[in-house]
Amino acid sequence: MTPLRRLCGLAVLAWTGLTASLACHADPQVLHYPATQAPAQPLEIHGALDSDLMAPLLADFQARHPEIELVYRNLTTLALYRRFMSADATSADVVMSSAMPWQYQLANRGYAQSLDTAEARAWPQASRWRRELFGITFEPVVIVYRRDAIASDASPDSHEALLRLLTEQRQRLTGRVVTYDPWRSGAGYTYATADSHMSPRYWELVAALGGVKAALADTTGDMLDGLIAGRYDIGYNLLGSYARDVVADHPQLEMVIPDDYALVMQRLALIPKRAPHPETARRFLDYLLSRQGQQAIRDKTPLGAVHPDLEGPETAHGLRRALGDAIHPIAIDPGLLATLDALKRHSLLERWQREYTRLSDNAP
Amino acid sequence: MNESATLPSLYRRLLVWLLVPMLLLGSLVLAQAYMASRDTADRAFDRLLEAASLAIAEQVKRQQGQLWMDLPPAALKMLASQAEERVFYALYDANGNFISGNAELPALDDTAADMRFADIEWHDMALRLGIRRSQLEGWRNRQPFEVRVAHTREGREALTQSLFQGSMLRLVAMALLAIGVVLLGIRMALMPLTRLRRAIRARDPRTLAPLDLALPRELAELRETLNDLLARMRRVRANQERFIGDASHQLRTPLAGLSARAELALRQDDPRAWHAALDVMRGSADKTARLASQLLSLTRLNNPEATPEAVAIDLCHTARQAVRDAWTQCHRDGIDLGVEVPAHPVMQQAVEWQLAEALANLLDNARRYGARRITVRVTEGPTRLEVEDDGPGIPESQRLLVLRPFHRGIEGGQGSGLGLAIVDGIARTHGARLSLAPTHPHAEPPGLCVRLQFSEEGTS
Repeated sequence: MTPLRRLCGLAVLAWTGLTASLACHADPQVLHYPATQAPAQPLEIHGALDSDLMAPLLADFQARHPEIELVYRNLTTLALYRRFMSADATSADVVMSSAMPWQYQLANRGYAQSLDTAEARAWPQASRWRRELFGITFEPVVIVYRRDAIASDASPDSHEALLRLLTEQRQRLTGRVVTYDPWRSGAGYTYATADSHMSPRYWELVAALGGVKAALADTTGDMLDGLIAGRYDIGYNLLGSYARDVVADHPQLEMVIPDDYALVMQRLALIPKRAPHPETARRFLDYLLSRQGQQAIRDKTPLGAVHPDLEGPETAHGLRRALGDAIHPIAIDPGLLATLDALKRHSLLERWQREYTRLSDNAP
Repeated sequence: MNESATLPSLYRRLLVWLLVPMLLLGSLVLAQAYMASRDTADRAFDRLLEAASLAIAEQVKRQQGQLWMDLPPAALKMLASQAEERVFYALYDANGNFISGNAELPALDDTAADMRFADIEWHDMALRLGIRRSQLEGWRNRQPFEVRVAHTREGREALTQSLFQGSMLRLVAMALLAIGVVLLGIRMALMPLTRLRRAIRARDPRTLAPLDLALPRELAELRETLNDLLARMRRVRANQERFIGDASHQLRTPLAGLSARAELALRQDDPRAWHAALDVMRGSADKTARLASQLLSLTRLNNPEATPEAVAIDLCHTARQAVRDAWTQCHRDGIDLGVEVPAHPVMQQAVEWQLAEALANLLDNARRYGARRITVRVTEGPTRLEVEDDGPGIPESQRLLVLRPFHRGIEGGQGSGLGLAIVDGIARTHGARLSLAPTHPHAEPPGLCVRLQFSEEGTS
């Protein structure tokens, strides 16, 4: 049992990487919006989402509901999960996290209450599970590269093209590629699982990544930093919502959404059954699902909006129009539970490691 | 019309007795249909548990000295249908140790089959649990293990509902049809009754002829009963007609005698003859008046709708009074009239004037038919009223006949022939038994003892 337990611990640790890919905060950040209108109605939100990303959204909500006394705690996904499971800690009214399997696990276990509003009923089937778990953002997983290192005609705009590039320019790109470390990063592991389900050729890609001795990073932020600094030429599987703004600020970087298939991550929100203020919680989640809330997500944050009525390049609608069938949101279904299975995780990572080291072991 | 609407109706009774059991039966069938739907849904969804557990079991192997599995996500997706069930799985080794899974699912005791299913209540959730017993495939180490999978019941319930709704629609349609048939059937079955009613209503009210109508067996019995009643009524009417005929005849004879006597007297000039004739006529008129009053009594007794109410009376008093009333007459005829009563009152539910009438008739009869000694007697336990004489008595063959009106025991006697008929009528209205017996069976003349024995319940 000992190796297993260690494995589980590792899995839990790995998820902390997902909290916020740009910056990892050890201490929980707290945002507090006092009510400007009596009587004050308290609402406590726990999220694994950077405070500076949440702030405009919370401010918009508060402007619409000035009677709500709003507290936002930014926690790591691990702290969020632990806090949720511990009986004594004060419970949150809304829990939001990018750790999709864990959120699914909580809802599956029956810890979430259902939201029965018009918005919830109209929410796209693919972005919800029952009426308990809602995907409120739409964030593609992307490839970022430096314009100065990669010719525009060799742009890695698909997994196929990336594999070809890595194979053909193996010597030149050695040490110049970066991707998630699936052992240490929960997001990296989730993407690896999804990638491997998309096609068995993923393992060729892993082997090719191993062939160029690709660097393994913990967060999208680390990868972007390395790309800006010129340490890397290509980054594979970055979270598009974070990359978009950075790429816009740095003209030497180019972001592509793979056009053969693009994984899409969704942040999942739920209302715990033991939420102390379910009424305000429902109002907040309903706001997140509403056109106004989604508009705020589209316009004031880099997170993509899901609402089917909203247009724009960053919305689910826009991405689907641009890429069609290539858009592959990570399904909110029991398959996510398999991701959490310790043995499964171990099997997959072992395979990954085997493939990753295949070419380098045979290297002359 | 209003009254008939509130009366219990045969139609309604049939309707209730047919429809209520049908409704009960329908509910039973519905309940059964629900169970069957649930069963079918369970069986269909149990196949999913079976397939998922098999898919998982196939991925179980031995690695690093312990059980290992590469969980196929498809196995878990399989467990969730459109209804988005909550899904649980776990791998246990042969000793029941938890190896991996997202929930610690309970074991099932029954170890007979490879695949077992059970409905369980788990952390406030109703789950359907499927447990597969399997073992590692291998040359040497065939280690057994258990794959436990479970999901919530939403999908099963949805399927149950849709199956049940289908059968419910069919059942409701059948029930409506059945109700229609029952309504029609009852109407058809009750048709002969309507025919019978019409036949009776259409009859001439004066005719008592038997009904002649083809009817089903049950109603044919009713028709026969009705015909029996009609036959009895015909006999009663014949009796009445004869009685009226007899009565008219009885009244006409003395009146004709009166008329003839008066005519004879008018032809004579002698006032003494007139006097003698008047004397005879008075006697004859008295007799006729008595006859008329007796006829009246008999008619009153035979009228079932004018039964006076019985009250508790003292029989001793009635007997003494009757003797007192008849005493003068008897004394004149030299008859020894006596009364034998207990010292204390003997109470009996009765109509006093009727008993007095009966006693008067009996005393009159005894006197007229030549008794020398008459005794009125009241006895207790059982309560009896007797009039005993030492006259010629009535031969046994005549005893029943004398109870009929206008029958005289002895031809050419002085009585009207109504006395004993009246006594018989009174005995019947009092529920008492009338018996005629000789006073001294072996003596000559044997005498007559007329006895009224009251039934026990009227005694007090």
